[in-house]
This record gives sequence, structure tokens and C-alpha cells, in this order.
Amino acid sequence: MAYHNQYRPPHYNSAPPDQGFLWNIFQRVDKDRSGAISDTELQQALSNGTWTPFNPVTVRSIISMFDRENKGGVNFNEFAGVWKYITDWQNIFRTYDRDNSGFIDKNELKQALTGFGYRLSDQFYNTLIEKFDRQKRGQVAFDDFIQCCIVLQRLTDVFRRYDTDQDGWIQVSYEQYLSMVFNVV
Amino acid sequence: MSYQYGQGYPGPGGNAPQRHPPPGAPYGGGPAAGQYGSHYGGAPPGQQYGGGVPYGSYGQPRPGAPYGGGQAPGGPYGGYGQPQSGPYSQQAPAGNIPPGVNPEAYQWFSSVDIDHSGYINAKELKQALMNSNNSTFNDETCIMMLNMFDKTKSGRVDVFGFSALWVFLQQWRAMFQQFDRDRSGSINSNEMHQALSQMGYNLSPQFIQELVNRYSKGSVNGVLQLDRFIQVCTQLQSMTQAFREKDTSMTGNVRLSYEEFLSGAITRLM
Repeated sequence: MAYHNQYRPPHYNSAPPDQGFLWNIFQRVDKDRSGAISDTELQQALSNGTWTPFNPVTVRSIISMFDRENKGGVNFNEFAGVWKYITDWQNIFRTYDRDNSGFIDKNELKQALTGFGYRLSDQFYNTLIEKFDRQKRGQVAFDDFIQCCIVLQRLTDVFRRYDTDQDGWIQVSYEQYLSMVFNVV
Repeated sequence: MSYQYGQGYPGPGGNAPQRHPPPGAPYGGGPAAGQYGSHYGGAPPGQQYGGGVPYGSYGQPRPGAPYGGGQAPGGPYGGYGQPQSGPYSQQAPAGNIPPGVNPEAYQWFSSVDIDHSGYINAKELKQALMNSNNSTFNDETCIMMLNMFDKTKSGRVDVFGFSALWVFLQQWRAMFQQFDRDRSGSINSNEMHQALSQMGYNLSPQFIQELVNRYSKGSVNGVLQLDRFIQVCTQLQSMTQAFREKDTSMTGNVRLSYEEFLSGAITRLM
């Protein structure tokens, strides 16, 4: 599952951090010293800025993007990718979370996704907020924002593969539909 | 990067309620086909996999009982997915079982809620559930089940939510054992084909093979443990429901706009 190229956050390219710095972090996060960071270890190390546990689904999505051998975690080399990925998202999130609340509201989400190139209806943003607002505040936290973007990106990619004439419509059979969505969920 | 899609389609279905029917309920038409039948391509079940097993012999899938209705699915299903051995049975409840809570589930709850918070989170749930090969349940399935029964979206369930989750789990476990014909403790793609036919799906052997391969990654190749079986079947139910809502004329084909496609999938993410 080499999603790491495809699913890089758009419009952002931070400089790679120093290896010694990363190694230090890796060792602290890898609590059981197994040489790989598991879902639980990464979740405990991450903060969404709101004092609630980091969305486990986001953690799973990120790990599976970088975990090349399906070992259920990331080694040090892979962790460098994870670190950069999360940092890039964090920088993007901060530019839209103008009041630094740790949340972005519907308008900010709309600005962010419009900036990425999505053209979506107002009603669809309600659906997104409803689905990705785990804390039921009418706003989306950092971890849920990442997950929202990952899901949208995956669904858009699979839609495009079927929308060969690029008219924004697809015609698919039952099994094709299942294949499309099973590739994402 | 420019996305051409999405011309402001009003997107019906965006607010479709999420439903989590118990196993077998919506497809309970018994052996194969049913009303959703032959439209959905693929060979009729049983031909390629010809063991000649009469599908009727499995009996009907358990009809969907309402969650938390206090209906204990028959007896102890030995083996699969029992809580890890430990002092659980010693902690019999004192008899203050809240109304509507399955007594067995109640007993489990107090032993699984290790930190006595009154809630069970994903970690506690994962520690309590095992596949028959002694692997713990995978994270996705635990999160999925918690989300299904967690009305507050807080990533944890109280005793009422747990009771419903427990009944759900028992029903799937019974199905799993029923379809594990060779008693291997796992479901191979042949068995999965029979299971899905029995539940009323008409899916091609190729599709099922791919599905099983995809979900058996990282474990023993080509077979599903209980956790993956539950995950696959639940998502299949949910996604079939999404397709059906669009396939109003039952042709087996749908035409979807970009935003309709997004809405249908996103509202059903678990």
C-alpha cells in the first residue's frame, strides 16, 4: 500500500528534519523498543490540540500508508515519512485555523478544500462536518481534518479512474461499486 | 491539481440515516438470490464450488433481534472469540443488571472494563476479543463496532451500548462457526462464497477471492479470522445498502455524480 506518494498533503513541502532529531523522537515514541511504532504508540504520541485522544482511524490510515510490509507499524525509515506527513498537514491546518482554536469550522474547511481544488456543494460540507466532527462541536479538529482529507482524496482518485470521459458522472455495476468503496473504507 | 468534479449537485442521500442491521436481517431471504438476485452478475453459487452442498442445510440466518432486547443467542459458542482466559467468571454480577441489558453481556462488561470507568474503549475491547488462532481482534474491527454502538461518538460504549455490541458479536460468531465448514477456525474463500450466497448476495467468485485476499493480508494468506469476517460482512451490508438506494429500478447498474458517490460512501464510513 504505497500511498505515501499519492497522498502527500497538497501545496506543502517542509524541509526534512535532522536525522538525529528524528531518531530521538522515534525512540521516545517506540515505548516497547520493538523497533517499530505501532498504532497505539503513535496515537499516544500525537496530539490534536484538544486534550482528547488522537483519532484512532486517522492513526490507522497514516500507519497503513507508510507501513510497507504490513507489519502493523512503522520502522525508523518509514517513521521519517510519517513525521513529515503529519507536520505538513499541521502546517496546512494552522493556516486555516486562523483563530488557533484547534478546530476549523465549516467555512474554514470549505476554504481549505477549495484551496486543494475541490468544488463541493454547501450541503456536502454539512455532510462532511457531520461525519468528521467526532467531538460534536460543529467543527473539525486536526486529526479528523486529516482523515477527512484522506478519505476525500481516495474516493476522488477511485472516482476518476472510472470517470474516463471526465464528465463528473460514472455508471457502475454493483460489483464495481463495491470494489470502489472497499478500496477506501 | 484541479478537480473537475462536483458541479454543485444537491446530493440526495447525504443525510441518509446510518443503519446497522443485525446479520442476516436485510438479506434474510434465505438461500441465495432472493430479490436482489441474479442482476448482480457472477455465477450462481455452487456451480464452480460444486461441493454439492445443499444450501438449505445451513438453515436460515438468525433473524435480526433488536439490539439489547435481552435475547441471549443460544448458549455458549465455544472456542471462537471468547474473552481471554482469566478471572472473568469469578466476577458474577450482583444482580443489579440494568433493564434491557443482556445478563451475559453485563457480566462481560464488568470484566472488560478494566479501569472501571463505566465505559469500554477500543483498547479494552481489543484486549477482550480473540480470534480462534489466538490473535487479538484488529483495530479497524474494534473501532468499527464501537462506532456502531457508541451513540455519543466518544469512541467508547457504556453498558447499554456494550450489550448491543455483544449481541451483535455473538450473532456474527454463530454465523462464522456455521460457515466454517471444515472447523479450521477461519473462513477460506470457498466458505466465504457459500456464506455470502446464503446471506443473499450474488457475487462472483473472483470478487470474493479478491475480497478475502485483501482482508487476509498480513495474516495467514487466503483466510479470514472472525474479526475480518465481521468487518467484511458489515461493510458489505452497508455498501450494498448504499448501492440499492441509488439502484431504484433494480438493474444492477447505477449512474452517479461525483458528489453522490462521495456522499454515499462517506455517510457510511464506519
